[in-house]
Amino acid sequence: MSKTMAAIEKHQISIPDDLSSEAYFMTLLQEGYAQGLLTASSVEQIQLQCLEFLAYKCRKYNRGESSSLRVETAESLMKSNVYTMGLYLKSLGDSGKAISELTTARIPEIYQKGRELITDKLAAAQAVYEQIQRNSLSTLNYTYNATISGEGLGQFFPTYQPDYEAHEVTASIDYQLCNPVDHLTGVEFIHRYLENLALENEFCGRFSAKAIHFLLCGYDSGYKDLLINIFEQVLTSALACSLVKRRVLSLSISEEEVEVLSKELIQADLPALTLKISKAAELVQEELNIAGGALGQYVVQSLPNIVVNVSQALKLNTLAKVFVSPLDPDAKPQIAFAAGVKMDDKEYRKLIDELLICRYPADKLQFIREQVRSFADLEDLLTDAWLETEEVFQVLDLLGDVEIAALIKRHPYQENQQGVYLPAAEQTLRGYLQDYLEQLAADRVKGIFQLLNQLRDEEG
Amino acid sequence: MALEIMHLSTSLIQKQAVMEIEKCNEFSAQFGLTLSHAQAIELVETRAQALRGNGRIEFGGGVIQRIIREFCHSPYISSYNYEETLQELVEMFYYYKNETLDLLSDDELIQFMRTPFNGVCQGSLELLAGRELYNLASNLRFGYAPNYWEDPAEDEEEDEDEEDNADEQNHGGY
Repeated sequence: MSKTMAAIEKHQISIPDDLSSEAYFMTLLQEGYAQGLLTASSVEQIQLQCLEFLAYKCRKYNRGESSSLRVETAESLMKSNVYTMGLYLKSLGDSGKAISELTTARIPEIYQKGRELITDKLAAAQAVYEQIQRNSLSTLNYTYNATISGEGLGQFFPTYQPDYEAHEVTASIDYQLCNPVDHLTGVEFIHRYLENLALENEFCGRFSAKAIHFLLCGYDSGYKDLLINIFEQVLTSALACSLVKRRVLSLSISEEEVEVLSKELIQADLPALTLKISKAAELVQEELNIAGGALGQYVVQSLPNIVVNVSQALKLNTLAKVFVSPLDPDAKPQIAFAAGVKMDDKEYRKLIDELLICRYPADKLQFIREQVRSFADLEDLLTDAWLETEEVFQVLDLLGDVEIAALIKRHPYQENQQGVYLPAAEQTLRGYLQDYLEQLAADRVKGIFQLLNQLRDEEG
Repeated sequence: MALEIMHLSTSLIQKQAVMEIEKCNEFSAQFGLTLSHAQAIELVETRAQALRGNGRIEFGGGVIQRIIREFCHSPYISSYNYEETLQELVEMFYYYKNETLDLLSDDELIQFMRTPFNGVCQGSLELLAGRELYNLASNLRFGYAPNYWEDPAEDEEEDEDEEDNADEQNHGGY
């Protein structure tokens, strides 16, 4: 029934290593049968054993209380079994050995060996995860922080069920790696993902957190909310530094240098560009002392993506978007706006009551001019005094551009369109602001938005 | 892969199930109830259809034996309706296994079927499925106790009482 090892070696099957364990098992059966290494009866025998084992797992899953279960649950259990067995067969490193094992050993034995491997991999993944948590980057990027937190990757370890759902990844992973982990599932995926993330952390850890922060600010001032890969940005910048013969650790390249680089690189075709970037990568590895190791290999593995980005940017004349110049956000002139002290509540109520009974808009305006002394009171009044559109516009006319910018910062009308739940008064005020800006001259609006960008975020 | 394997095994599972049903004849014969080989095959076929229809899979003999053992001494089952009743009960069982979200074990569900069948339903399979098991399933889904029963008649009485009280208060006010 089973072939000898010599016969198996003669018909070597090549199965890619990066195949998921579940797919590996299926491919092994299919290829083994196609190559004549497994006979129809031996395939049937393996399937029947799988079925018997599934029945056993189903009984265990139901704790003997129910003889039937949903087809989806049974399929998931079967996938889990196949995954576990595939993990062991793949670990043999040779498809010939794997087929020989399939034909000689019984399915529960293969499963048991796979299950032990899962336990080992789980422990290894846990160790890498703890290392990542210890050496995590100090960054404002939300997805990075959320993914390495206990609610992200940390969720995997308490919720993973190796006995029934070995092929599932029970964790919330939003942070995208520079070299994404494709094809793998279950504990294999987590282990590889964590290993890659640890390498990315190790690389970024060689640069100062401040340099990375400035670099990412140069990429986009709102980078904390973006789904970006930090390692890719840092490596790209390091390559740029190397190309212009600057210190790699500075991650600093000026816009003028990017322009010069653009003129130089645009003459190179894709193979020449690849060569230049590969040489720059070697210099980066030398300077960071990472050549030859796992980290060096990871850097080399990441280069094709970067070459494509650079090549595309050269075609579009947007190299400055790939080779980013760092930006210190605190160096930008900033305006600190103080809303002033609010008047006493009693006085404010009296003012509102009087405004409500006031008949003529001119009187209201006069009243506001005389009584209101702070921006904070004026802001409250716009929502409390039931003013008509024209009256609101007249009040806004009293304000300077900075005050208007401060109002927009506190009541960002653009967010109205995002379906955010807001009180009716707030929605009305935002609507007024939008209408008011629409009727202003374009130059003034531009000026107001420039001021808006310079306004410092309020604390608390 | 999973489904392919399941197809392979169907004939084996069915053969085993027929044998197990025929074995039950020894027990049920004391109540004058037996199934022929053909009837056993048909019953297993019904089970297979019910499983397919309800998206479930079962290994081994399944629950038919247990249903026979629990129902064969029912006063509402005779040799005239034995086979049909068993078929209906098997279909009902798998349907309500899904509807009760697998929260009950096989034995618990069969017990819940047997008690009202021999009691309030007086052998009516329609009442058993449409009222008792329906109520059981909705109770489990909404987090009530399995036996919880909301009597519409009581609600109506309560409403009437509330109306009377309100009227009295209104009259008192005048």
